[in-house]
Amino acid sequence: MIRGILTLARLDLLSWRRNPLAVTSALIPPITMTLLLLVLSLAVIQQPVALVVKGHGEQTEKMQGIVQSDTDAYINYDFTKNLKPIDAKSAEQKLNNQQVAAIITIPADFDKKVIESKGQVNLTLNNVDIDFSDDIRRSVDRSVAVFDAPSLALEEENAVDPLKNKDQQKAYQNNPYLIHIEESDIRETDVEWLSYQIIPALVLLVLSVGLIGTALLCARDIECKTARYLVVSPQQSWALVTGRLLGGFLASIIVLIPAILLCTLTGTIHPPISHWPALAAILAATALCAAGLGAILGSILKGSRNIAMASSVIATYMYFLGGGFTTISFLPQWLRNLSSFIPMRYAIDGMRQAMFYSTLDGVAKDLTILCLTAVFAIILGSYTIRRSWSN
Amino acid sequence: MKSALIAFFSGAKAEFIQLKRSPFLIILTIIQAITFIFLVNFFGTTGAFAPTALVDYDKGVYSKKFIQNLQDAHHSFDLKFMDTKSATDAINKGNVVAIITIPKGFSEAISQGKLQTIKVVVNNIDTDMTADIKRALPSAITRFGQDLNLPGIHVEAKESDLINHDTGFIPYLMVSALVLSAFIISGILGAVAVAQEFELGTILLLVSSPVRPLIPLLGRIMTTSVISVFAMLVAVLIVVLGHGVYPVHPLEMFFALLFCIIIFGCIGAALGAAMKRTLPVASLVFGISLPLYLFSGAYEPERFDGSAIWGITHFFPIYYAVGIMEHAVLDLKVTPESVFVNFLALFGFAVLALLTAGFFLRRAVS
Repeated sequence: MIRGILTLARLDLLSWRRNPLAVTSALIPPITMTLLLLVLSLAVIQQPVALVVKGHGEQTEKMQGIVQSDTDAYINYDFTKNLKPIDAKSAEQKLNNQQVAAIITIPADFDKKVIESKGQVNLTLNNVDIDFSDDIRRSVDRSVAVFDAPSLALEEENAVDPLKNKDQQKAYQNNPYLIHIEESDIRETDVEWLSYQIIPALVLLVLSVGLIGTALLCARDIECKTARYLVVSPQQSWALVTGRLLGGFLASIIVLIPAILLCTLTGTIHPPISHWPALAAILAATALCAAGLGAILGSILKGSRNIAMASSVIATYMYFLGGGFTTISFLPQWLRNLSSFIPMRYAIDGMRQAMFYSTLDGVAKDLTILCLTAVFAIILGSYTIRRSWSN
Repeated sequence: MKSALIAFFSGAKAEFIQLKRSPFLIILTIIQAITFIFLVNFFGTTGAFAPTALVDYDKGVYSKKFIQNLQDAHHSFDLKFMDTKSATDAINKGNVVAIITIPKGFSEAISQGKLQTIKVVVNNIDTDMTADIKRALPSAITRFGQDLNLPGIHVEAKESDLINHDTGFIPYLMVSALVLSAFIISGILGAVAVAQEFELGTILLLVSSPVRPLIPLLGRIMTTSVISVFAMLVAVLIVVLGHGVYPVHPLEMFFALLFCIIIFGCIGAALGAAMKRTLPVASLVFGISLPLYLFSGAYEPERFDGSAIWGITHFFPIYYAVGIMEHAVLDLKVTPESVFVNFLALFGFAVLALLTAGFFLRRAVS
């Protein structure tokens, strides 16, 4: 019995090896997604702005210093970190050429106006969409706030007890806006953006290979009419079905192992050693889910074109709704409700918990849901495979 | 000439019959296109209005004023009024990004000119949103101080915009997503039409026929382009009727999308001829669509990402198409190049794609 299962699994893996195009088609979506993540991790998140300083004086220099020190928000027009003042004409030219998104101008009479409490910082903004425009507006407002109330610049990580630090105590009290912010973050983490985002890419890899791989093997048996040989085989049908699902599962694992090794060697992922079994269990359950779903898809749909397209659509929805590209928690309620039916969400959540946090809180729940989904997908997949062979 | 025309229309008819026999493929292609419209919308919802719990222990005149300033702080907060327990629950469950607590006696203290501390707890799992909040709070505070004419404030920001209205992030993304949809629909249908000739072995019949094999294949591309136009109509209707994004220059939008369909159909044909298999070519078109989309000015003018990336995007027709579409639908200028130059570039890409398709086909059949 076991031999029968292993024989079909081995045959399926050989079919995979002999069909590099099928392997390629399964690998393209996760590879392009990983490349995209790599590029995004290198890309800058600040907005390019031009700083024009028209006057001289103590207050002008102070304002200039505040704007220049906000390196989280602004980047120079030439994408160097330090914002360098340029003349108004060049700035306008760069704004029109879209080399900068905005011009921040400190006027010539700034020092004089500050004494009269009428100082102005001018912002000329290319407001083509509110996403980056609002980022710049908030940043300029913050710079203006810091001019009169330095305590509003304090980041939580730099926060010092005002009673112990004299400079900070002075900054705290010198606040004409009369509102001070006491900020605390609910988690401490030093996770890099790429490490955080690579988790969904690994899940997409397992999903894509398991789904497309199993679906195509099922479809090939029907298209090449080799399913009839399986039906008349002396092996019990459930053993053959198990062999088919095992083949899809193993294909995912074979592709996953080098990817995990690469991520570990490059330091992209470095979970605590004690969390590896939980991680392995999550990945195995995800691969089983993918194989089961692939079996359903490959048995129901006809033709490799349709299977390739349908697999891509399903993988895309599962990836995005599972939290592949955004934080599900902050989405509208209806989307969060929808997401709770997506098994990949539990794979991504569980893997992130195991990778980046010291405890395995919630992993048992994620793993249970994943395993239940895998069992359901395998039962349904086995049924549809057997039925497609009979037809 | 007559035989070429016959071959062209025969190819078109053959593709039409083929597609008629596989309606599921067309349905899947349309679903794929709508998928991106949906997903882009989904991505855009996280760009603004961070869900934030507001606990107001004061309920006085100045706390109301401050809450109004928070609500007006550049689309930053989606305030949810709660008590401390519900707010803590909500932040622990990940339902809100932050809790802002206005203390009791806030209004009284402000009226007496005393400094008040507002406690802010931040769920710092998503740096993009938490950074927005950290910047938005001082922004609301400055507005609060300026509105009340508090003494000791020496500076304010004065803004002037290049455009007399703001454009929402989702409408902006939706418009560029239409270009992506055109790429997916037309690219996949074009690629599959050509690759199928190789897969089924019918390319040999085309080679042995008295006309150039490129001609009937172009007929097939014409049919897939016509089908793509109808599929794109569905995507456009979703954007227009579903999201209320009405094109300012509808004719410009029509021609831009038509150009996109033709170009992407030809690019698909070239890929189909190069790969000769339907399965990887469909995955390839799909796989490269998202990276191409994100690096073509889809979410902000591409030049804001730096001259190097901006330079590279000039090699992709999606960049010019997004430039035209944003102008056609929202009347925005998102590329330094004019609409005419963008159209010219698209025309150049159409010719190039056709030549590339011809080259790969000739190479493949020989």
